[in-house]
Amino acid sequence: MTKIRKLWALTRAGIIESLQFRLGTAVMLFGNLIYLALVYFLWKAIYESSGTETVNGMTFYDTMIYLILATAIFNLLEMFIVWDMSRAIQSGEIIMHLLKPMPYRLYTFWSYSGAHVNNFFLAFLPTFIAVSLITKGAIPLGINLLWFMVSLILALIVNFNIEMLVAPICLYTESTWGINIVKETVVLLLSGATIPLAFFPEGLRQAVEYLPFRAVYDIPLTVLLCKNGTDTFAGLLPKLGIQLLWCVVLSVCGNLFWNHAVKKITVNGG
Amino acid sequence: MSSEVVVMKNVSKQFKVLNRHEGLKGSIRDLFSRDYKIIRAVEDVSLTVNKGEIIGYLGPNGAGKSTTIKMMTGVLEPTEGEILVSGRVPYQNRTANAENIGVVFGQRSQLWWNLPLIESFNLLRDIYLVPEKDYLDMLELYRSLVDLEPILHKPVRQMSLGQRTLSDILAAFLHNPGIVFLDEPTIGLDVSMKAKIRELIRGLNEVKETTVILTTHDMGDVDALCKRIIIIDKGRKIYDNDIEHLKSYFGSYRTLRMRLDDDSWVEQVIDEKKTDVMHVMQDMQKQHRIKDIQLQEISTEEVIRKIYEGEESA
Repeated sequence: MTKIRKLWALTRAGIIESLQFRLGTAVMLFGNLIYLALVYFLWKAIYESSGTETVNGMTFYDTMIYLILATAIFNLLEMFIVWDMSRAIQSGEIIMHLLKPMPYRLYTFWSYSGAHVNNFFLAFLPTFIAVSLITKGAIPLGINLLWFMVSLILALIVNFNIEMLVAPICLYTESTWGINIVKETVVLLLSGATIPLAFFPEGLRQAVEYLPFRAVYDIPLTVLLCKNGTDTFAGLLPKLGIQLLWCVVLSVCGNLFWNHAVKKITVNGG
Repeated sequence: MSSEVVVMKNVSKQFKVLNRHEGLKGSIRDLFSRDYKIIRAVEDVSLTVNKGEIIGYLGPNGAGKSTTIKMMTGVLEPTEGEILVSGRVPYQNRTANAENIGVVFGQRSQLWWNLPLIESFNLLRDIYLVPEKDYLDMLELYRSLVDLEPILHKPVRQMSLGQRTLSDILAAFLHNPGIVFLDEPTIGLDVSMKAKIRELIRGLNEVKETTVILTTHDMGDVDALCKRIIIIDKGRKIYDNDIEHLKSYFGSYRTLRMRLDDDSWVEQVIDEKKTDVMHVMQDMQKQHRIKDIQLQEISTEEVIRKIYEGEESA
Protein backbone atom coordinates (compact mmCIF):
# COMPACT_ATOMS: atom_id res chain seq x y z
CA MET A 1 0.00 0.00 0.00
CA THR A 2 2.67 2.45 1.06
CA LYS A 3 4.58 1.69 -2.08
CA ILE A 4 1.57 2.56 -4.20
CA ARG A 5 1.39 5.94 -2.47
CA LYS A 6 4.95 6.71 -3.57
CA LEU A 7 4.34 5.62 -7.14
CA TRP A 8 1.00 7.32 -7.57
CA ALA A 9 2.48 10.56 -6.23
CA LEU A 10 5.02 10.49 -9.06
CA THR A 11 2.38 9.68 -11.68
CA ARG A 12 0.17 12.48 -10.42
CA ALA A 13 2.98 15.01 -10.51
CA GLY A 14 3.84 13.87 -14.03
CA ILE A 15 0.25 14.42 -15.16
CA ILE A 16 0.12 17.91 -13.67
CA GLU A 17 3.53 18.74 -15.09
CA SER A 18 2.82 17.62 -18.64
CA LEU A 19 -0.61 19.25 -18.63
CA GLN A 20 1.25 22.55 -18.45
CA PHE A 21 2.49 22.00 -21.96
CA ARG A 22 -0.81 22.13 -23.84
CA LEU A 23 0.84 23.83 -26.75
CA GLY A 24 3.39 21.05 -26.95
CA THR A 25 0.62 18.49 -27.36
CA ALA A 26 -1.01 20.58 -30.08
CA VAL A 27 2.27 20.91 -31.96
CA MET A 28 2.84 17.18 -31.65
CA LEU A 29 -0.59 16.43 -33.14
CA PHE A 30 0.08 18.84 -35.98
CA GLY A 31 3.46 17.26 -36.65
CA ASN A 32 1.73 13.90 -36.82
CA LEU A 33 -0.65 15.14 -39.48
CA ILE A 34 2.27 16.11 -41.68
CA TYR A 35 4.00 12.80 -41.08
CA LEU A 36 0.80 10.88 -41.81
CA ALA A 37 0.24 12.81 -45.05
CA LEU A 38 3.70 11.72 -46.11
CA VAL A 39 2.98 8.13 -45.16
CA TYR A 40 -0.32 8.24 -47.02
CA PHE A 41 1.17 9.39 -50.33
CA LEU A 42 4.16 7.12 -50.04
CA TRP A 43 2.10 3.99 -49.53
CA LYS A 44 -0.46 5.06 -52.11
CA ALA A 45 2.34 5.17 -54.64
CA ILE A 46 3.60 1.78 -53.52
CA TYR A 47 0.18 0.20 -53.87
CA GLU A 48 -0.50 1.81 -57.23
CA SER A 49 2.79 0.63 -58.66
CA SER A 50 2.20 -2.91 -57.44
CA GLY A 51 -0.98 -3.21 -59.47
CA THR A 52 -2.73 -5.46 -56.97
CA GLU A 53 -5.21 -4.77 -54.20
CA THR A 54 -3.21 -6.51 -51.51
CA VAL A 55 0.52 -6.51 -50.96
CA ASN A 56 1.91 -9.10 -48.57
CA GLY A 57 -1.60 -9.86 -47.38
CA MET A 58 -2.40 -6.27 -46.45
CA THR A 59 -4.68 -3.91 -48.34
CA PHE A 60 -3.84 -0.22 -48.60
CA TYR A 61 -6.52 0.34 -46.01
CA ASP A 62 -4.97 -2.17 -43.59
CA THR A 63 -1.56 -0.63 -44.01
CA MET A 64 -2.79 2.88 -43.36
CA ILE A 65 -4.72 1.91 -40.23
CA TYR A 66 -1.69 0.03 -38.98
CA LEU A 67 0.71 2.92 -39.57
CA ILE A 68 -1.58 5.60 -38.17
CA LEU A 69 -2.08 3.64 -34.99
CA ALA A 70 1.65 2.90 -34.84
CA THR A 71 2.28 6.65 -34.90
CA ALA A 72 -0.26 7.14 -32.15
CA ILE A 73 1.46 4.50 -30.04
CA PHE A 74 4.80 6.09 -30.81
CA ASN A 75 3.54 9.38 -29.34
CA LEU A 76 2.25 7.54 -26.34
CA LEU A 77 5.43 5.60 -25.63
CA GLU A 78 7.99 8.20 -26.51
CA MET A 79 10.49 8.72 -23.71
CA PHE A 80 13.56 10.88 -23.56
CA ILE A 81 15.50 8.89 -21.04
CA VAL A 82 18.66 8.86 -23.16
CA TRP A 83 18.62 12.65 -23.39
CA ASP A 84 17.49 13.29 -19.87
CA MET A 85 20.00 10.94 -18.36
CA SER A 86 22.96 12.29 -20.29
CA ARG A 87 21.99 15.85 -19.44
CA ALA A 88 21.55 14.92 -15.79
CA ILE A 89 24.97 13.28 -15.77
CA GLN A 90 26.71 16.18 -17.46
CA SER A 91 25.15 18.76 -15.17
CA GLY A 92 25.57 16.65 -12.06
CA GLU A 93 21.81 16.75 -11.52
CA ILE A 94 21.84 12.95 -11.43
CA ILE A 95 22.95 13.16 -7.80
CA MET A 96 19.57 14.53 -6.83
CA HIS A 97 17.87 11.58 -8.54
CA LEU A 98 20.19 9.09 -6.90
CA LEU A 99 19.35 10.56 -3.52
CA LYS A 100 15.63 9.93 -3.79
CA PRO A 101 14.38 7.37 -1.31
CA MET A 102 13.65 4.81 -3.99
CA PRO A 103 15.71 2.91 -6.56
CA TYR A 104 16.67 5.05 -9.53
CA ARG A 105 15.06 2.85 -12.19
CA LEU A 106 11.77 2.70 -10.33
CA TYR A 107 11.85 6.43 -9.74
CA THR A 108 12.53 7.15 -13.41
CA PHE A 109 9.81 4.85 -14.67
CA TRP A 110 7.14 6.33 -12.45
CA SER A 111 8.28 9.88 -13.09
CA TYR A 112 7.50 9.29 -16.75
CA SER A 113 4.22 7.53 -16.13
CA GLY A 114 2.23 10.75 -15.78
CA ALA A 115 3.28 11.85 -19.24
CA HIS A 116 2.19 8.46 -20.59
CA VAL A 117 -1.25 8.84 -19.04
CA ASN A 118 -1.58 12.28 -20.61
CA ASN A 119 -0.38 11.11 -23.99
CA PHE A 120 -2.86 8.27 -23.88
CA PHE A 121 -5.80 10.61 -23.47
CA LEU A 122 -4.54 13.54 -25.51
CA ALA A 123 -2.73 11.84 -28.38
CA PHE A 124 -3.63 8.19 -28.63
CA LEU A 125 -7.32 8.17 -27.84
CA PRO A 126 -8.34 10.97 -30.24
CA THR A 127 -6.39 9.30 -33.05
CA PHE A 128 -7.92 5.95 -32.26
CA ILE A 129 -11.46 7.34 -32.21
CA ALA A 130 -10.89 9.25 -35.43
CA VAL A 131 -9.50 6.18 -37.19
CA SER A 132 -12.32 3.93 -36.06
CA LEU A 133 -14.97 6.49 -37.09
CA ILE A 134 -13.46 7.10 -40.50
CA THR A 135 -12.88 3.45 -41.29
CA LYS A 136 -16.33 2.49 -39.98
CA GLY A 137 -15.61 -0.71 -38.17
CA ALA A 138 -12.24 -1.74 -39.55
CA ILE A 139 -11.06 -1.91 -35.96
CA PRO A 140 -13.02 -4.55 -34.06
CA LEU A 141 -14.42 -3.10 -30.84
CA GLY A 142 -14.71 -5.85 -28.27
CA ILE A 143 -12.68 -7.76 -25.73
CA ASN A 144 -9.63 -7.10 -27.91
CA LEU A 145 -9.53 -3.55 -26.53
CA LEU A 146 -8.93 -4.92 -23.06
CA TRP A 147 -6.17 -7.22 -24.29
CA PHE A 148 -4.72 -4.32 -26.21
CA MET A 149 -4.44 -2.30 -23.01
CA VAL A 150 -2.61 -5.18 -21.34
CA SER A 151 -0.35 -5.50 -24.34
CA LEU A 152 0.22 -1.76 -24.42
CA ILE A 153 1.35 -1.65 -20.81
CA LEU A 154 3.74 -4.52 -21.48
CA ALA A 155 4.98 -2.63 -24.55
CA LEU A 156 5.55 0.40 -22.36
CA ILE A 157 7.67 -1.61 -19.95
CA VAL A 158 9.68 -3.21 -22.78
CA ASN A 159 10.25 0.22 -24.33
CA PHE A 160 11.33 1.68 -20.97
CA ASN A 161 13.79 -1.13 -20.52
CA ILE A 162 15.25 -0.66 -23.99
CA GLU A 163 15.75 3.03 -23.16
CA MET A 164 17.33 2.18 -19.82
CA LEU A 165 19.66 -0.27 -21.53
CA VAL A 166 20.82 2.33 -24.03
CA ALA A 167 20.94 5.45 -21.85
CA PRO A 168 23.83 4.45 -19.55
CA ILE A 169 26.01 3.89 -22.63
CA CYS A 170 26.49 7.66 -22.71
CA LEU A 171 28.39 7.30 -19.43
CA TYR A 172 31.03 5.36 -21.30
CA THR A 173 31.08 7.23 -24.60
CA GLU A 174 30.33 10.79 -23.48
CA SER A 175 28.30 11.26 -26.66
CA THR A 176 24.54 11.08 -26.71
CA TRP A 177 23.28 12.22 -30.06
CA GLY A 178 24.56 9.33 -32.14
CA ILE A 179 23.50 6.72 -29.65
CA ASN A 180 20.02 8.14 -29.49
CA ILE A 181 19.65 8.21 -33.27
CA VAL A 182 20.81 4.61 -33.59
CA LYS A 183 18.43 3.48 -30.87
CA GLU A 184 15.50 5.40 -32.38
CA THR A 185 16.08 4.05 -35.87
CA VAL A 186 16.61 0.48 -34.79
CA VAL A 187 13.53 0.45 -32.57
CA LEU A 188 11.24 2.11 -35.10
CA LEU A 189 12.37 -0.07 -38.00
CA LEU A 190 12.63 -3.44 -36.32
CA SER A 191 9.48 -2.99 -34.27
CA GLY A 192 7.34 -2.49 -37.36
CA ALA A 193 6.46 1.09 -36.50
CA THR A 194 7.57 2.59 -39.82
CA ILE A 195 7.05 -0.42 -42.11
CA PRO A 196 4.65 -3.23 -41.13
CA LEU A 197 6.62 -6.40 -40.43
CA ALA A 198 4.62 -8.22 -43.14
CA PHE A 199 6.58 -6.24 -45.74
CA PHE A 200 9.98 -7.37 -44.47
CA PRO A 201 11.94 -9.86 -46.56
CA GLU A 202 11.47 -13.37 -45.20
CA GLY A 203 14.91 -13.70 -43.60
CA LEU A 204 14.72 -10.39 -41.76
CA ARG A 205 11.15 -11.09 -40.70
CA GLN A 206 12.29 -14.36 -39.13
CA ALA A 207 15.13 -12.60 -37.36
CA VAL A 208 12.87 -9.88 -36.00
CA GLU A 209 10.67 -12.57 -34.45
CA TYR A 210 13.47 -13.26 -32.01
CA LEU A 211 14.19 -9.62 -31.13
CA PRO A 212 12.46 -7.58 -28.42
CA PHE A 213 11.48 -4.67 -30.66
CA ARG A 214 8.30 -6.15 -32.08
CA ALA A 215 6.98 -6.38 -28.52
CA VAL A 216 6.79 -2.58 -28.57
CA TYR A 217 4.68 -1.87 -31.69
CA ASP A 218 3.87 -4.97 -33.71
CA ILE A 219 2.32 -7.08 -30.96
CA PRO A 220 0.00 -4.42 -29.45
CA LEU A 221 -1.18 -3.47 -32.94
CA THR A 222 -1.74 -7.07 -33.96
CA VAL A 223 -3.77 -7.61 -30.80
CA LEU A 224 -5.78 -4.45 -31.37
CA LEU A 225 -6.57 -5.31 -34.98
CA CYS A 226 -7.23 -8.98 -34.16
CA LYS A 227 -4.71 -10.16 -36.74
CA ASN A 228 -2.79 -13.42 -36.86
CA GLY A 229 -5.32 -15.33 -34.80
CA THR A 230 -5.10 -13.06 -31.76
CA ASP A 231 -8.90 -13.09 -31.54
CA THR A 232 -8.59 -16.49 -29.88
CA PHE A 233 -6.94 -17.29 -26.60
CA ALA A 234 -4.66 -19.77 -28.28
CA GLY A 235 -3.39 -17.05 -30.60
CA LEU A 236 -3.33 -14.27 -28.02
CA LEU A 237 -1.50 -15.85 -25.11
CA PRO A 238 1.78 -16.60 -26.91
CA LYS A 239 1.96 -12.96 -28.02
CA LEU A 240 1.44 -11.60 -24.53
CA GLY A 241 3.81 -14.29 -23.28
CA ILE A 242 6.54 -13.04 -25.60
CA GLN A 243 6.04 -9.50 -24.31
CA LEU A 244 6.15 -10.64 -20.72
CA LEU A 245 9.28 -12.64 -21.39
CA TRP A 246 11.02 -9.61 -22.87
CA CYS A 247 9.88 -7.48 -19.93
CA VAL A 248 11.60 -9.88 -17.55
CA VAL A 249 14.72 -10.45 -19.64
CA LEU A 250 15.28 -6.76 -20.37
CA SER A 251 14.55 -5.71 -16.79
CA VAL A 252 17.15 -8.11 -15.50
CA CYS A 253 19.73 -7.03 -18.09
CA GLY A 254 18.88 -3.37 -17.59
CA ASN A 255 19.25 -3.70 -13.85
CA LEU A 256 22.63 -5.38 -14.13
CA PHE A 257 23.88 -2.83 -16.65
CA TRP A 258 22.60 0.10 -14.61
CA ASN A 259 24.23 -1.21 -11.44
CA HIS A 260 27.47 -1.45 -13.34
CA ALA A 261 27.06 2.00 -14.86
CA VAL A 262 26.14 3.66 -11.59
CA LYS A 263 29.43 2.38 -10.19
CA LYS A 264 31.11 4.58 -12.73
CA ILE A 265 29.39 7.55 -11.16
CA THR A 266 29.98 6.50 -7.58
CA VAL A 267 33.57 5.41 -8.12
CA ASN A 268 34.75 8.08 -10.50
CA GLY A 269 32.30 10.90 -9.98
CA GLY A 270 30.86 10.63 -13.51
CA MET B 1 21.47 4.52 19.53
CA SER B 2 24.59 6.53 20.15
CA SER B 3 24.72 10.25 19.66
CA GLU B 4 27.25 9.89 16.86
CA VAL B 5 25.45 10.58 13.63
CA VAL B 6 28.40 10.47 11.28
CA VAL B 7 31.58 8.52 11.80
CA MET B 8 34.39 8.65 9.25
CA LYS B 9 37.54 6.61 9.77
CA ASN B 10 40.63 7.23 7.64
CA VAL B 11 38.57 7.95 4.56
CA SER B 12 40.31 8.58 1.26
CA LYS B 13 38.90 9.15 -2.18
CA GLN B 14 40.85 9.02 -5.42
CA PHE B 15 39.67 9.77 -8.91
CA LYS B 16 41.22 8.43 -12.05
CA VAL B 17 41.35 11.11 -14.72
CA LEU B 18 42.57 10.90 -18.28
CA ASN B 19 45.58 13.12 -18.91
CA ARG B 20 44.29 15.42 -21.64
CA HIS B 21 46.63 16.83 -24.23
CA GLU B 22 46.30 20.13 -26.00
CA GLY B 23 45.36 20.83 -29.57
CA LEU B 24 43.96 18.67 -32.34
CA LYS B 25 46.87 16.25 -32.29
CA GLY B 26 46.61 15.92 -28.56
CA SER B 27 42.88 15.29 -28.74
CA ILE B 28 43.40 12.49 -31.25
CA ARG B 29 46.11 11.04 -29.09
CA ASP B 30 43.70 11.13 -26.13
CA LEU B 31 41.34 8.83 -28.02
CA PHE B 32 43.81 5.99 -27.59
CA SER B 33 45.51 7.21 -24.48
CA ARG B 34 45.74 5.07 -21.38
CA ASP B 35 47.59 7.83 -19.65
CA TYR B 36 45.61 8.29 -16.45
CA LYS B 37 46.55 10.32 -13.46
CA ILE B 38 45.23 9.79 -9.98
CA ILE B 39 43.68 12.74 -8.22
CA ARG B 40 43.55 12.47 -4.46
CA ALA B 41 40.45 14.45 -3.56
CA VAL B 42 40.24 13.37 0.06
CA GLU B 43 43.06 11.84 2.06
CA ASP B 44 42.84 10.06 5.36
CA VAL B 45 40.04 12.11 6.90
CA SER B 46 38.58 10.95 10.20
CA LEU B 47 35.81 12.74 11.99
CA THR B 48 32.70 12.23 14.05
CA VAL B 49 29.62 14.38 14.14
CA ASN B 50 27.19 14.25 17.04
CA LYS B 51 23.46 14.61 17.03
CA GLY B 52 22.15 18.14 16.88
CA GLU B 53 25.44 19.78 15.93
CA ILE B 54 25.84 22.35 13.20
CA ILE B 55 29.25 21.76 11.68
CA GLY B 56 30.92 24.31 9.45
CA TYR B 57 32.85 22.31 6.92
CA LEU B 58 35.32 24.71 5.38
CA GLY B 59 38.17 24.73 2.94
CA PRO B 60 39.36 26.55 -0.16
CA ASN B 61 37.87 25.73 -3.54
CA GLY B 62 38.81 22.23 -4.61
CA ALA B 63 39.81 21.16 -1.10
CA GLY B 64 37.55 18.11 -1.18
CA LYS B 65 34.51 19.40 0.70
CA SER B 66 31.88 18.36 -1.80
CA THR B 67 33.59 15.02 -2.33
CA THR B 68 33.37 14.33 1.41
CA ILE B 69 29.71 15.27 1.48
CA LYS B 70 28.95 13.12 -1.54
CA MET B 71 30.58 10.20 0.22
CA MET B 72 28.44 10.79 3.30
CA THR B 73 25.30 10.85 1.16
CA GLY B 74 26.28 7.64 -0.59
CA VAL B 75 26.63 8.88 -4.17
CA LEU B 76 30.38 8.43 -4.01
CA GLU B 77 32.14 5.36 -2.76
CA PRO B 78 35.28 5.95 -0.69
CA THR B 79 38.46 4.41 -2.07
CA GLU B 80 39.64 3.61 1.44
CA GLY B 81 38.30 3.90 4.94
CA GLU B 82 34.93 3.55 6.59
CA ILE B 83 31.93 5.81 6.77
CA LEU B 84 28.86 5.28 8.90
CA VAL B 85 25.89 7.61 8.74
CA SER B 86 23.31 6.80 11.42
CA GLY B 87 24.86 3.37 11.65
CA ARG B 88 24.61 2.65 7.93
CA VAL B 89 27.25 2.42 5.24
CA PRO B 90 25.90 5.08 2.85
CA TYR B 91 27.06 3.81 -0.53
CA GLN B 92 25.92 0.28 0.21
CA ASN B 93 22.45 1.39 1.31
CA ARG B 94 22.01 4.51 -0.73
CA THR B 95 18.23 4.33 -0.87
CA ALA B 96 17.81 3.53 2.82
CA ASN B 97 20.30 6.24 3.70
CA ALA B 98 18.42 8.71 1.51
CA GLU B 99 15.35 8.38 3.73
CA ASN B 100 17.30 9.69 6.67
CA ILE B 101 19.17 12.58 5.09
CA GLY B 102 18.30 15.85 3.44
CA VAL B 103 20.51 17.60 0.90
CA VAL B 104 20.81 21.03 -0.65
CA PHE B 105 23.55 21.21 -3.25
CA GLY B 106 24.38 24.80 -4.16
CA GLN B 107 22.49 25.82 -7.25
CA ARG B 108 20.93 22.43 -7.88
CA SER B 109 17.31 21.98 -7.01
CA GLN B 110 15.44 18.88 -6.00
CA LEU B 111 12.13 20.62 -6.56
CA TRP B 112 9.88 19.98 -9.53
CA TRP B 113 10.61 22.89 -11.80
CA ASN B 114 7.15 23.30 -13.29
CA LEU B 115 5.07 22.63 -10.21
CA PRO B 116 3.98 25.07 -7.50
CA LEU B 117 6.05 24.60 -4.35
CA ILE B 118 3.16 23.05 -2.43
CA GLU B 119 2.89 20.29 -5.05
CA SER B 120 6.59 19.54 -4.67
CA PHE B 121 6.07 19.36 -0.91
CA ASN B 122 3.11 17.01 -1.32
CA LEU B 123 5.14 14.86 -3.64
CA LEU B 124 8.06 14.69 -1.21
CA ARG B 125 5.62 13.87 1.58
CA ASP B 126 4.41 10.89 -0.44
CA ILE B 127 7.74 9.55 -1.63
CA TYR B 128 9.27 9.85 1.83
CA LEU B 129 6.07 8.42 3.33
CA VAL B 130 5.71 11.24 5.87
CA PRO B 131 2.61 10.77 8.05
CA GLU B 132 0.01 13.45 7.40
CA LYS B 133 0.13 14.81 10.94
CA ASP B 134 3.93 15.20 10.94
CA TYR B 135 3.69 16.86 7.57
CA LEU B 136 1.14 19.44 8.72
CA ASP B 137 3.14 20.08 11.90
CA MET B 138 6.22 20.66 9.81
CA LEU B 139 4.40 23.14 7.55
CA GLU B 140 3.16 24.88 10.68
CA LEU B 141 6.74 25.12 11.94
CA TYR B 142 7.85 26.49 8.59
CA ARG B 143 5.15 29.15 8.76
CA SER B 144 6.43 30.22 12.17
CA LEU B 145 9.97 30.58 10.82
CA VAL B 146 9.48 32.09 7.36
CA ASP B 147 6.80 33.82 5.39
CA LEU B 148 5.59 30.86 3.38
CA GLU B 149 2.50 32.25 1.68
CA PRO B 150 4.14 34.22 -1.16
CA ILE B 151 6.09 31.20 -2.39
CA LEU B 152 3.84 28.26 -1.60
CA HIS B 153 1.72 28.49 -4.74
CA LYS B 154 4.41 29.73 -7.05
CA PRO B 155 5.98 27.42 -9.65
CA VAL B 156 9.64 26.92 -8.84
CA ARG B 157 10.80 28.17 -12.23
CA GLN B 158 9.28 31.60 -11.49
CA MET B 159 11.07 31.99 -8.16
CA SER B 160 14.03 34.21 -7.46
CA LEU B 161 17.27 32.48 -6.50
CA GLY B 162 16.69 33.37 -2.86
CA GLN B 163 13.17 31.99 -2.81
CA ARG B 164 14.34 28.83 -4.53
CA THR B 165 17.16 28.27 -2.06
CA LEU B 166 14.76 28.84 0.79
CA SER B 167 12.34 26.37 -0.76
CA ASP B 168 15.08 23.82 -1.28
CA ILE B 169 16.14 24.05 2.34
CA LEU B 170 12.55 23.59 3.45
CA ALA B 171 12.27 20.61 1.13
CA ALA B 172 15.42 19.06 2.58
CA PHE B 173 14.01 19.22 6.11
CA LEU B 174 10.47 18.16 5.18
CA HIS B 175 10.76 14.47 6.05
CA ASN B 176 12.49 15.36 9.30
CA PRO B 177 15.80 13.68 8.47
CA GLY B 178 18.39 13.04 11.15
CA ILE B 179 21.02 14.88 9.19
CA VAL B 180 20.96 17.59 6.54
CA PHE B 181 23.84 18.47 4.20
CA LEU B 182 23.91 22.04 3.00
CA ASP B 183 26.52 22.64 0.32
CA GLU B 184 26.98 26.39 -0.04
CA PRO B 185 23.36 27.27 0.62
CA THR B 186 23.86 31.04 0.70
CA ILE B 187 25.87 31.32 -2.51
CA GLY B 188 24.75 34.26 -4.61
CA LEU B 189 22.16 35.58 -2.17
CA ASP B 190 21.66 39.12 -0.91
CA VAL B 191 22.35 40.01 2.72
CA SER B 192 18.75 40.00 3.89
CA MET B 193 18.07 36.62 2.28
CA LYS B 194 21.26 35.24 3.82
CA ALA B 195 20.07 36.39 7.22
CA LYS B 196 16.68 34.78 6.66
CA ILE B 197 18.22 31.52 5.62
CA ARG B 198 20.58 31.46 8.59
CA GLU B 199 17.67 32.07 10.93
CA LEU B 200 15.73 29.29 9.27
CA ILE B 201 18.57 26.80 9.55
CA ARG B 202 19.16 27.67 13.20
CA GLY B 203 15.45 27.46 13.97
CA LEU B 204 15.05 24.05 12.37
CA ASN B 205 18.19 22.76 14.04
CA GLU B 206 16.93 23.88 17.45
CA VAL B 207 13.39 22.59 17.17
CA LYS B 208 14.06 19.32 15.36
CA GLU B 209 17.56 18.66 16.69
CA THR B 210 18.64 18.02 13.14
CA THR B 211 22.35 17.62 12.61
CA VAL B 212 23.55 20.04 9.96
CA ILE B 213 26.75 19.84 7.96
CA LEU B 214 27.31 23.10 6.20
CA THR B 215 29.92 23.99 3.63
CA THR B 216 30.29 27.62 2.80
CA HIS B 217 32.73 30.31 1.81
CA ASP B 218 30.77 32.92 3.70
CA MET B 219 32.18 33.41 7.20
CA GLY B 220 28.96 35.17 8.13
CA ASP B 221 27.26 31.77 7.86
CA VAL B 222 29.90 30.23 10.09
CA ASP B 223 29.74 32.96 12.73
CA ALA B 224 25.96 32.86 12.79
CA LEU B 225 25.48 29.11 12.87
CA CYS B 226 28.46 26.96 13.76
CA LYS B 227 29.96 26.19 17.14
CA ARG B 228 32.39 23.75 15.67
CA ILE B 229 34.27 23.93 12.43
CA ILE B 230 36.27 21.48 10.42
CA ILE B 231 38.72 22.77 7.85
CA ILE B 232 40.18 20.67 5.11
CA ASP B 233 42.74 21.61 2.53
CA LYS B 234 44.17 19.53 -0.30
CA GLY B 235 42.03 16.67 0.92
CA ARG B 236 43.46 16.62 4.44
CA LYS B 237 41.81 17.70 7.64
CA ILE B 238 43.78 20.56 9.15
CA TYR B 239 41.45 21.80 11.87
CA ASP B 240 38.60 20.33 13.86
CA ASN B 241 37.51 22.22 16.94
CA ASP B 242 35.37 24.99 18.39
CA ILE B 243 35.18 28.24 16.56
CA GLU B 244 36.55 30.05 19.68
CA HIS B 245 39.69 27.95 19.61
CA LEU B 246 40.29 28.80 16.02
CA LYS B 247 41.47 32.31 16.76
CA SER B 248 44.03 31.26 19.32
CA TYR B 249 44.98 27.99 17.69
CA PHE B 250 46.77 29.58 14.80
CA GLY B 251 48.50 32.21 16.89
CA SER B 252 46.67 34.92 18.74
CA TYR B 253 45.98 37.42 16.06
CA ARG B 254 44.66 40.88 16.47
CA THR B 255 44.08 43.65 14.04
CA LEU B 256 45.68 47.00 14.75
CA ARG B 257 44.15 49.97 12.94
CA MET B 258 45.96 53.30 12.94
CA ARG B 259 44.83 56.67 11.67
CA LEU B 260 47.70 58.63 10.20
CA ASP B 261 48.35 62.27 9.44
CA ASP B 262 46.39 62.26 6.24
CA ASP B 263 43.38 60.75 8.03
CA SER B 264 43.79 57.41 6.25
CA TRP B 265 43.45 54.18 8.24
CA VAL B 266 46.22 51.61 8.06
CA GLU B 267 45.45 48.03 9.04
CA GLN B 268 47.83 45.41 10.21
CA VAL B 269 47.15 41.90 11.43
CA ILE B 270 49.47 41.08 14.28
CA ASP B 271 50.48 37.65 15.47
CA GLU B 272 51.08 38.25 19.14
CA LYS B 273 53.24 35.18 19.43
CA LYS B 274 55.83 36.70 17.15
CA THR B 275 55.63 40.36 17.93
CA ASP B 276 53.41 42.63 19.97
CA VAL B 277 51.26 45.64 19.36
CA MET B 278 53.64 48.09 20.99
CA HIS B 279 56.47 47.07 18.71
CA VAL B 280 54.44 47.62 15.60
CA MET B 281 53.26 50.99 16.83
CA GLN B 282 56.75 52.09 17.66
CA ASP B 283 57.96 51.13 14.20
CA MET B 284 55.08 53.02 12.68
CA GLN B 285 55.64 56.09 14.79
CA LYS B 286 59.16 56.47 13.47
CA GLN B 287 57.73 57.24 10.05
CA HIS B 288 54.29 58.73 10.68
CA ARG B 289 52.37 60.62 13.25
CA ILE B 290 49.57 58.46 14.61
CA LYS B 291 46.40 60.36 15.37
CA ASP B 292 44.24 57.50 16.54
CA ILE B 293 44.42 53.76 17.13
CA GLN B 294 41.97 50.89 17.34
CA LEU B 295 42.60 47.34 18.41
CA GLN B 296 40.24 44.66 17.10
CA GLU B 297 39.84 40.96 17.56
CA ILE B 298 40.56 39.27 14.28
CA SER B 299 37.47 38.16 12.35
CA THR B 300 36.87 34.55 11.48
CA GLU B 301 37.23 35.49 7.87
CA GLU B 302 40.76 36.77 8.40
CA VAL B 303 41.80 33.70 10.37
CA ILE B 304 40.47 31.42 7.69
CA ARG B 305 42.22 33.43 5.02
CA LYS B 306 45.44 33.16 6.95
CA ILE B 307 45.01 29.43 7.22
CA TYR B 308 44.24 28.96 3.52
CA GLU B 309 47.10 31.18 2.47
CA GLY B 310 49.45 29.66 5.02
CA GLU B 311 48.73 26.21 3.69
CA GLU B 312 49.41 27.38 0.19
CA SER B 313 52.87 28.73 0.96
CA ALA B 314 53.78 25.83 3.25
